[in-house]
Amino acid sequence: MATADSTGKDAIFDSYAPSAPLTTKPSYWIPLSPFNDMYDRFSQWRADLGLPHPGTVENLQKEVKSTHLSNFIFDGARADLTKSLSMNPLFQVTHSFALGSQTAPSSYNFGAIFANQNIFLQGGVDHDGNVNARFNQGWSAQNVTKFQAQFSNQPGHNMIQIEHDYTGSDFSLNGKALNPSPTDLTGIYVGSYLQSFTKNIALGLETVFQRPSPDLADTTTSFLAKYTADDKNWIATAQVQPAGIVQATYWQKLSEKLEVAADLQLLAMPTRRDAVTTLGAKYDLRLASFKAQVDSTGKVSALLEQRFTPAFAFLIAGEIDHFKNSAKVGVGVMIESSTLTPEEMGLPPQPYGI
Amino acid sequence: MPSEETKERITKAVEIGRTILHYGWIPLIIYVGFTRSNPQPSLIKLVSPLA
Repeated sequence: MATADSTGKDAIFDSYAPSAPLTTKPSYWIPLSPFNDMYDRFSQWRADLGLPHPGTVENLQKEVKSTHLSNFIFDGARADLTKSLSMNPLFQVTHSFALGSQTAPSSYNFGAIFANQNIFLQGGVDHDGNVNARFNQGWSAQNVTKFQAQFSNQPGHNMIQIEHDYTGSDFSLNGKALNPSPTDLTGIYVGSYLQSFTKNIALGLETVFQRPSPDLADTTTSFLAKYTADDKNWIATAQVQPAGIVQATYWQKLSEKLEVAADLQLLAMPTRRDAVTTLGAKYDLRLASFKAQVDSTGKVSALLEQRFTPAFAFLIAGEIDHFKNSAKVGVGVMIESSTLTPEEMGLPPQPYGI
Repeated sequence: MPSEETKERITKAVEIGRTILHYGWIPLIIYVGFTRSNPQPSLIKLVSPLA
């Protein structure tokens, strides 16, 4: 009955506007049309503002983190052997060895990555049998669901995180669940939202809901702000938790090769007051990358990554803690090999005799 | 609120799923990558760090 009705309507609409795209709605939507019109007008007005996408909350400090070397420093000796087996879809395996570190025991890790346009699969296993897993599924250009887990033979070391990202034209929305338990709903739940308000300013908030046991629950909200310069050459961010934690960062691209970043972490709670400032610089040269960093706890560190050929890189890292009088040194190699011929990788064939 | 028995069953199912993922995740990636790769690599090149 209903289908016959709607096809009849379509025929009428088609006779009025034969070339227009199909915009007919079932007739029971008509009472809602003022709201639809209002929504359409609102979204049109919003689109006319032309606000840029603010980036995601997770990547708020991405530029600073990639300039500073806190996430890249290592000590002892390290070797990473990466082998690309296919370029499209991407499939590569990695063997990583680490020895002689002061802080971590020697380890071997095998990793595999598979990725195509919509799916990203990553897995790693170390010599103790601990597995870490990542799985991203892109449903559309706006929606991405991410799954991340760690499995261990020791109880209490397992972790599961399920996450969904929605990317709008001028905002980003993210929801996360860490170790959710379906029986008593314990776990950590995080929701975050970041919205562009002008061409430069984006504001957002992040709420963390913790429920370690069924009768204990705790919510904390932090506020975020991001200022991006017109030419995107510098970015300032701030993250404030009302309990008294402030993190402020500043990043600037001084030239094509040089980026500098500063980071201030402030703890001003009634029981504890603390602050750490970190300053860092990164030089990107043609075959090398050099990072240097100094912080207010007395640590000076540097990392050099020298690429001798596109497939072979040598890393040297060092850190001196002046207040504790200790030092760390690390050397590493990264070797990339491929079973593919240059033509299969999409490179132009190399002429012989060079 | 689910009953104790249902809760126990869910916990058991989660535990089994976790064990399957723990031992099956890496083989799954290797299988997916090996079958979808273009061109298909040989197995020895896949596992050996030197070949």
